[in-house]
Amino acid sequence: MPSPEGRRSLLTIRIVSLCSFLLLWKLASQWMDSPIILPSPEDTLKETWILLNARGFYQSFGATLVRGITGFFLSILLGLCMGILSGKSYLFREFFRPFLTSVQSTPVLAIILLALIWFPTETVPVFVAFLMGFPIITTNVVEGILAVDRRLIEMAKVYRIEPWRRILYVVLPSILPYLVGGASSALGLSWRVVVASEVLSQPILGIGTGMQEAKLRLETARVFAWTLAALVLSYSTESIFRWIVKRLKRLA
Amino acid sequence: MRVELESVRFAYGSVTILDRFSAQFPSMKVTVLLGPSGCGKTTILNLLAGLLTPQAGSVRVGDKPPTDIRVGYMFQDVRLIPWLTVKRNLDLILPQRLPLEARLDRIRSVLRLVGLEQALSLFPDQLSGGMYRRVGMARAYLYEPDLYLMDESFQGLDPPLKFQLLSMFQQLRSNSPKTTIFVTHDIEEALLVGDEILLLSPIPTRIVHTLRNPVPIEDRVPGNQEIARLEGELFTLFRKEQLQLGEERV
Repeated sequence: MPSPEGRRSLLTIRIVSLCSFLLLWKLASQWMDSPIILPSPEDTLKETWILLNARGFYQSFGATLVRGITGFFLSILLGLCMGILSGKSYLFREFFRPFLTSVQSTPVLAIILLALIWFPTETVPVFVAFLMGFPIITTNVVEGILAVDRRLIEMAKVYRIEPWRRILYVVLPSILPYLVGGASSALGLSWRVVVASEVLSQPILGIGTGMQEAKLRLETARVFAWTLAALVLSYSTESIFRWIVKRLKRLA
Repeated sequence: MRVELESVRFAYGSVTILDRFSAQFPSMKVTVLLGPSGCGKTTILNLLAGLLTPQAGSVRVGDKPPTDIRVGYMFQDVRLIPWLTVKRNLDLILPQRLPLEARLDRIRSVLRLVGLEQALSLFPDQLSGGMYRRVGMARAYLYEPDLYLMDESFQGLDPPLKFQLLSMFQQLRSNSPKTTIFVTHDIEEALLVGDEILLLSPIPTRIVHTLRNPVPIEDRVPGNQEIARLEGELFTLFRKEQLQLGEERV
């Protein structure tokens, strides 16, 4: 952890970085001189304020949040089961490897378009978030399982430690860093794909829906405002996730 | 409890470690397997612990297969769980049906026997090498096993600490004598600990010589003349058999 002086200088660097970015944005918008192509930072801020007070904004924000979290938890649940099975069985791992590799290599847009054909609009973002996060979680859990210290498992076997306690005290703590890494990546990805799916699937409420509607009306400042909302969503859930992991580590 | 290996065969791939290997380990005594590194000593212990299964022949402890008995295995690398405290490492092997306070009492009393009452809340990486081994010894003792297996348990420790741990081991054993198989490649250690010493050849393992230790337990201390004489005798046997000793002794 950096010292108080270190933290202060880090904060200074971040403020300077943000101010430089805003200045550059301002200069670019003045040079373009077209709010449709690039609105100024103050116009965007004004539009964000309007959006925050607009009817339905919080419902849209909440709808995206619920979709992302649902997809994320589904990917954790199934990724964990699949990861444990694949980690334990070479046959299972090799059987599912082509499937996981294919999903990871398929363009997100292709998955969204197929999901649009297969599912109702409300389900598409959840399915895509799940499908994008699931291989990441599975791969990381498999890595974690393979990294479990076999010598500790042997010790547990010799001392006849019950299987559930072996899992709780030997296996889970070993795979936890891998699971946390995978979950963190999946969570970050989840917001990007949920918003992208909403843009294409157009559910009644959602950040992506709002973004697409603003784009159709050429309200670029509003597109920026929705983007800001997506950024806040992603950043806040990441922070909450990190906080939970920290608490869990302390409890363990 | 009589421990017996009969015509055991075991190979790792194409490398045969044991081929029709037979040995009997007397009940309630300490039998030392003495031999050069890589001669299959740990494989024998792993067979007795039920961690390996013989490809032919049989392993019996008492009248049971090894998986049916309680084994207190003190591994060469001890194998404490790094993210659990000493207390939780020891508690893990106790039956959870016992009340917590009863379990804690047993843990405390065993740690007292090895002089580590103060280490209860320490994590393995906070222990010194000697403390780490003592916790391993405490765990094996706490388990109340039918059979002790000790794999080079004091290897790499400086001599005063090694002898301190050896006498601690003898004291624990005198509290509750159990059949013990002790693996080492150190002749002096073998003579200080063993009631019977089996000198092993390089792989495929065979017993080259069996020595019944005539020195009473209470006299088995470094510097004892009889121990020194036997050490010379065993060392000569090693040379005669053209065995390569562990690096420490060469």
